[in-house]
Amino acid sequence: MTDISADLLALITTLKMAAVTTVILLIIGTPMAWYLAKWQSRFKVFFEAVVALPLVLPPTVLGFYLLLAFSPTSLPGQLWQSATGSQLAFSFSAIVIGSVLYSLPFVVQPLQKAFEQLGDHHLEAAAMLGAGPIDRFFSVVLPLTKASFITATALGFAHTVGEFGVVLMIGGNIPGETRVLSIALFDHVEAFNYANAHLLSAGLLIASLILLSLVYLLGNNFNKKQQGTVKL
Amino acid sequence: MSRIDNSNNSSAIRNISDEQLAVAQPKRAAPSTLALAFKLAFSHLEISIKQNISISAITGIYGDSGSGKSSLLRVIAGLEPRAKGQVSLNGTVLQDSDNKAFIKAEKRQIGLVFQDSRLFPHLSVYQNLAYGAKRQTNRQLTIEKVLALTQLNQLQHQNVTLLSGGEKQRVSIARALLAEPKLLLLDEPFSALDKSTKSQMLTILKAIQQQLQLPMLYVSHSLSELQYIADQLVVVSAGKITQVAPIHQAIHQLNSRGETSPKTSLSLTIAEHLPDYGLTRLTLPAKKSTSKNHNIYLPILEQSNSQRLISQQLPCIIYARDISISKTKPEHSSIVNHLPASISVIQYNKTNALVTLKANEQEFYAQISLWSAKRMALTTESKVYIQFKANAVHSYYFTEPTANA
Repeated sequence: MTDISADLLALITTLKMAAVTTVILLIIGTPMAWYLAKWQSRFKVFFEAVVALPLVLPPTVLGFYLLLAFSPTSLPGQLWQSATGSQLAFSFSAIVIGSVLYSLPFVVQPLQKAFEQLGDHHLEAAAMLGAGPIDRFFSVVLPLTKASFITATALGFAHTVGEFGVVLMIGGNIPGETRVLSIALFDHVEAFNYANAHLLSAGLLIASLILLSLVYLLGNNFNKKQQGTVKL
Repeated sequence: MSRIDNSNNSSAIRNISDEQLAVAQPKRAAPSTLALAFKLAFSHLEISIKQNISISAITGIYGDSGSGKSSLLRVIAGLEPRAKGQVSLNGTVLQDSDNKAFIKAEKRQIGLVFQDSRLFPHLSVYQNLAYGAKRQTNRQLTIEKVLALTQLNQLQHQNVTLLSGGEKQRVSIARALLAEPKLLLLDEPFSALDKSTKSQMLTILKAIQQQLQLPMLYVSHSLSELQYIADQLVVVSAGKITQVAPIHQAIHQLNSRGETSPKTSLSLTIAEHLPDYGLTRLTLPAKKSTSKNHNIYLPILEQSNSQRLISQQLPCIIYARDISISKTKPEHSSIVNHLPASISVIQYNKTNALVTLKANEQEFYAQISLWSAKRMALTTESKVYIQFKANAVHSYYFTEPTANA
């Protein structure tokens, strides 16, 4: 396999991992952010800290514990194996689970902040007009926090694309399965193949810059549009 | 005296439409009964309410800021699941903490108009109204009809964030109406509006109430506003209901408790407009066959449709400090209003005397100096004349009393 086609395969694996991770993050992160925003208890800070952990923890620490948990000798690993018939460690599923944990704060935190800022006012108004909880979420919360959902999606996706430590620990380096861009880059550097390393690095750098610029642009536009609505 | 300056209200609000005035003598729907027996604790206040309230038209809820008025509405609306006790409307239990029963706000068919309108900023005026209508299965009202009732036709495609305060509140009321509630709660909906817009809003709301026969609970800390709009008053003080009475009677009871500036509250029949004299004549009908109708004049109600007001009831307020007492008939005075009356109570306060008088069975309150009370040697049962200027007769229809209510 040529370097280029190997890198292309790594790119596809990366995008697949990031896309699956982002979808899972939105599905589990939205209710988590909602409860953290609405929950009033002194235990709340503990859960906020747990969500924020990946921001400060070396990814290898998370990767190490996940590796132990995913091994066929531990309970989660055994459960997975009996349910799916395949080993969890060093699989695509493993790196997705790792990425979900690793990128959790990037999705939960902006959403939590948005839900806190939204407050209860519009939700109460919607309830008084006959809208139930699910209806209120889709007809009021989602449109009014659209900008934060875009930010959360983009940050979750971008952060997952850039991860290295967790994947290395629990995924290894299996082409087409767990070999992602950041690991391919590491391989190139190890092999003194700087031309390919440059290609990947510059590509990741520029793609990330474009993605983040788009996020901020969308956020700014949305804020401008919403400004008139603050004074009710 | 300030009057409604029609030039202020460019296109949005015109005079009240013929259609709205045509409902001056509406059919009466059966009153709604609200049974309240609950407690709700806050850090600064415990609300403890045990009261049945029968609402036929607009019942006002009056009290100081922080007395628990808004929380009372929120409990009825279903926004306070923490409340302990029972709440029911027309026999249907809305919440009962003992039996763990709680009907959610969205299932109660109760509307709530918030002080801060809470329109959905991502929807247009029309879409805000449709939000209420769409979630209602038993649709009797059309959006078009409600747009007309609330005079919003011109604004239906507007962005709600660009509306004025009065327009926002009309959208908020229209949206609540379209959810077709059995009871409409209004939490100081017009408190942020200027006086002339407020009086027009009140007139529109009153017309809507009469047309739709929808019982309403209207919270305000302005007694004059409530006097114009409500037929019954609930007084809330420090988390408790201290009084429930017909509006005029309730205001008079507040006089004797010294909580507000004392005033006479009464409804008078509009008899005729006298443009040459700048006055409108109202009548206080005789209650006994031996007495005769009394006339009371106030500055002319200058509305393009003022003829339509003839024979309607006009709620009026006359502050006690604006009424003086004379022992002889004051015929040679510029003061246009003078009525024979008899003194029923004299209450001596620190700096003045509050005299309760009766004219045609209607109670009037006059506040006079201690010196005058002594000099005139007033006693109960004395036959005297009360007098007050036309300008002293206030009605929200065209002006708001300037003093603190």
